[in-house]
Amino acid sequence: MSRWLRSSPVTWAIGYLMLGLAALVAFAVLLWYAWNVSIFSGREEILHADAQHLAEVFAREGPPGLTAHIETRLRLHIVGERTLLLTDADYRPLAGNLAAWPREIPDGSGTHAVMVDELGGQPVHTLVLRETLPGGYHLLVGRDLGFYLPLERQFAWGLTAAVTFLFVVGVAGALLIRRQLLARVEGMRTTVSAIMAGDLRKRLPEAGSGDEFATLSRTINGMLDHIERLIHGISDVSNSIAHDLRTPLAELRSRLEELSLTRPEPSETFAEIDGAVADVDRVMRIFAALLRLAELDTGARRSGFVQVDAARVAAEVVEFYEPAAEQKGVDFSFETSGVTAVAGDPVLLAQALSNLIDNSLKCVPERGAIRVRVGARADGSVAIEVADNGPGIAAADRPKVTERFYRGDASRGTPGVGLGLSIVDAVAKLHGGVLELIDNHPGLRAQMVLPVTGATSSR
Amino acid sequence: MKILLVEDNERVARFVIKGLREAGHTVDHAGNGRDGLFLAAGEPHDVIVMDRMLPGNIDGLAIIETLRKGGNRTPILILSALDGVDERIKGLRGGGDDYLTKPFAFGELLARVDALGRRGTGAGEAEHMLQVGDLRMDLLTRRVTRGSRAVTLQPREFKLLEYLMRHANQVVTRTMLLEAVWEYNFDPQTNVVDVHISKLRQKLELDSERALVRTVRNAGYMLTDQP
Repeated sequence: MSRWLRSSPVTWAIGYLMLGLAALVAFAVLLWYAWNVSIFSGREEILHADAQHLAEVFAREGPPGLTAHIETRLRLHIVGERTLLLTDADYRPLAGNLAAWPREIPDGSGTHAVMVDELGGQPVHTLVLRETLPGGYHLLVGRDLGFYLPLERQFAWGLTAAVTFLFVVGVAGALLIRRQLLARVEGMRTTVSAIMAGDLRKRLPEAGSGDEFATLSRTINGMLDHIERLIHGISDVSNSIAHDLRTPLAELRSRLEELSLTRPEPSETFAEIDGAVADVDRVMRIFAALLRLAELDTGARRSGFVQVDAARVAAEVVEFYEPAAEQKGVDFSFETSGVTAVAGDPVLLAQALSNLIDNSLKCVPERGAIRVRVGARADGSVAIEVADNGPGIAAADRPKVTERFYRGDASRGTPGVGLGLSIVDAVAKLHGGVLELIDNHPGLRAQMVLPVTGATSSR
Repeated sequence: MKILLVEDNERVARFVIKGLREAGHTVDHAGNGRDGLFLAAGEPHDVIVMDRMLPGNIDGLAIIETLRKGGNRTPILILSALDGVDERIKGLRGGGDDYLTKPFAFGELLARVDALGRRGTGAGEAEHMLQVGDLRMDLLTRRVTRGSRAVTLQPREFKLLEYLMRHANQVVTRTMLLEAVWEYNFDPQTNVVDVHISKLRQKLELDSERALVRTVRNAGYMLTDQP
């Protein structure tokens, strides 16, 4: 029973049922009261009308006339079984169906409910009206209260039946709802348990009438998709760390070990130590990039988004790289067009663009060209583009370059940790956009396309 | 300068203390937060270097908060293994003046400690003229002269030179320049800062003039007119 009551659909149903019953009882009480009042006053009115009629007969025809009238009426046995009695001033009966004036009737006019003994009958619970007629005659008009008893009983029975019916229907409904709800909740619970046990691919069933449960299932499934992606991201990163940190660490280790074993000249030792510090710095740079990627992947940075003019951010980055491009003799140009406001993180956008320019600077030949363009596209999205005339990326390799640690053949041997484009890709995705790599004939055109709203789509 | 180092890792502490002493500073060292608070309250320091992860799972930020509430305004450099923009912002909002991620190059630490110590004295805050040797910068008219010659600078070059002049005779690192002049907290993979410095040098140092911007090996740059 206690488990039963802890089930919230049942508690709700019972609460609702109680409310219904309370309303019904309140309604019944009101109805009962109204019914009683109207019946009672109706009865009184009948008594008053009757008494008045008899008084008129008395006024017109005098005591003998009324006596005759009463006797005629009693012989007719009218339904409603009235009590009638006419007495003289000393309460001696003249006509009627009572043997004597009932003692319980108080003095004064008005209606009273009393027990009266009818002639040759049982005592009857009667509502009586007494009237004093001219000449001291007393008139008693009454109506059998028991006449209404079956009606009252029927009313009480009807009410009880209604309450019982409502209760039964309510309890049955609660049970039914509970079964329905529990079946669906239980389904969700088992699926979620399975997921918790490690089967991340399991999803809640979304079929159904498109009701709240289906919506809830869809939302939970969306969350599960996201969690699955995050977990894969983590294992990706772990794999990458294992793979790419091992190499520089192995180099570092052998460098130090050799140093310890061979104990070379001081000048050579110091050179080796400087080399070791550089190795550590390289490891740290990889770490920093990985942590930045992990931070981007969680999407947490989105909370810091503001309205940014992408063109302004780009102008600053371009200005930052201008001297370096100039030094290499690269033709470095920058143009903007249209409205280029996006919701985003200016520092991340700057970093992404900086990575793209950095890549281009590394691969363009002397006197090559790099063109940076920021512009609104026809659909209102904003494109940040870096195009160069370097070696470009082979079509087959293009999908791979945003993978973590992928380094194209062209970039082997150049400094860098192989995470640049991954970061650009992650920044674009964080902003609800994409990174597109297009052939520039020759060279590469890398384009970050950001939706104007910076909406949180595409993840 | 008198520096308080709050750092529980002995090897790191020994390395930092040794380096700071060699650079001519006096160093007090506390191995935990309680001693750190005690030392900080006991006597004035020019700079406090505070590790974030202290024994007993105490966050250095809590110590900084206590110090600041007690009215201590000593510049604080936070050392932290926690990277990430959010951690950095948390550290700086929590009362720190600068934030350095572990592991760090000692040159970076020394440069930042020097910069904080200098700032603590308030030098150069209210002036509108900066001068290093015969190099002058008027912050109001934004005019730069070397001797009698006017030097024409781009806005960003002006900002770069202003930072170098405010930290004259101190080493400033590339990261410090990136953060202060460009407000970038990421690491560009090419030597972009070096190129900016060499462009600035070309404008500041004509053939016959004495070099002002020096490259400090393994650390960064220093603007000075001392031989």
